[in-house]
Amino acid sequence: MQRFAFLVNVQLKGHVRDPRGETIRRVLKEEKGLPVERLRIGKAILLEVEALSEEEARGVVERACSEMLVNPVVEDYEVLAL
Amino acid sequence: MRSLDVAVVVYPGSNCDRDMFYALELSGFRPRFVGLKGELRGYPVIAVPGGFSYGDYLRPGAVAAREEISHRIREEAERGALVLGVCNGFQILVEMGLLPGALLQNEDGLFSCRWVDLLVEDASTPFTRCYRPGQRISLPIANGFGRYYRGGGDVRVVMRYVHDVNGSEEGIAAVANEAGNVLGMMPHPERACEEILGGTDGIALFRSMMEHLSSLL
Repeated sequence: MQRFAFLVNVQLKGHVRDPRGETIRRVLKEEKGLPVERLRIGKAILLEVEALSEEEARGVVERACSEMLVNPVVEDYEVLAL
Repeated sequence: MRSLDVAVVVYPGSNCDRDMFYALELSGFRPRFVGLKGELRGYPVIAVPGGFSYGDYLRPGAVAAREEISHRIREEAERGALVLGVCNGFQILVEMGLLPGALLQNEDGLFSCRWVDLLVEDASTPFTRCYRPGQRISLPIANGFGRYYRGGGDVRVVMRYVHDVNGSEEGIAAVANEAGNVLGMMPHPERACEEILGGTDGIALFRSMMEHLSSLL
């Protein structure tokens, strides 16, 4: 068994409004003068999985996403191997 | 199990459980608190109260929805028990998939705690039969993630906000499943059962459940 690390990046779907992101973008732009035109706050979830192969480990992460980590009604995600 | 028994499900972080218990008792029910390891079999009514179950970790209701007790709620709902989810209880039922859609952070980013006006759109459910169709009522809300998003699917809308309060799609405040025995709502009927609390428009919801159960006897 090996240990594999992944980062799951979860973001609200593009058409779903994100009040946190909008507020932070406004402050960066209006108060700090930075030309930030879009800012979305998502979640980064770090997982370490014991498995025989990276493929198997990725399968575990996909199951974690579909069973709990991601709400597919409002969120998209990507799994990044570390 | 006697027909007026109600299970009030208590998760770690529930904080409206005693309010719900009190309002149910006031309405003639026999409420019982049921914890994570409790039994729900045979209860004709299950109330999932508000609060911050598991500190809203991940998403409001996400962790609670995956607890064993939530699977038991689903089983009883499928048997026809009335399931009432208020506020965080609504979020839990949505996360369980018992009700469609999702609940997102309020559009203004604020925790909203005030009385709001609502229209009872569907007065044919076991939870709303004592209201008139189209009746305007006033109930308190207290949430940060109350923005209902239907996600494109068909939704049985039971109540709508009269004025936009949080960016909810089409002003949706309460939805039921197709069969009508599961209701989720962001406003708190249990906080509107005595004049001293500012209003009594929540009473009819509990009376509706009582009448529904009586009609089954």
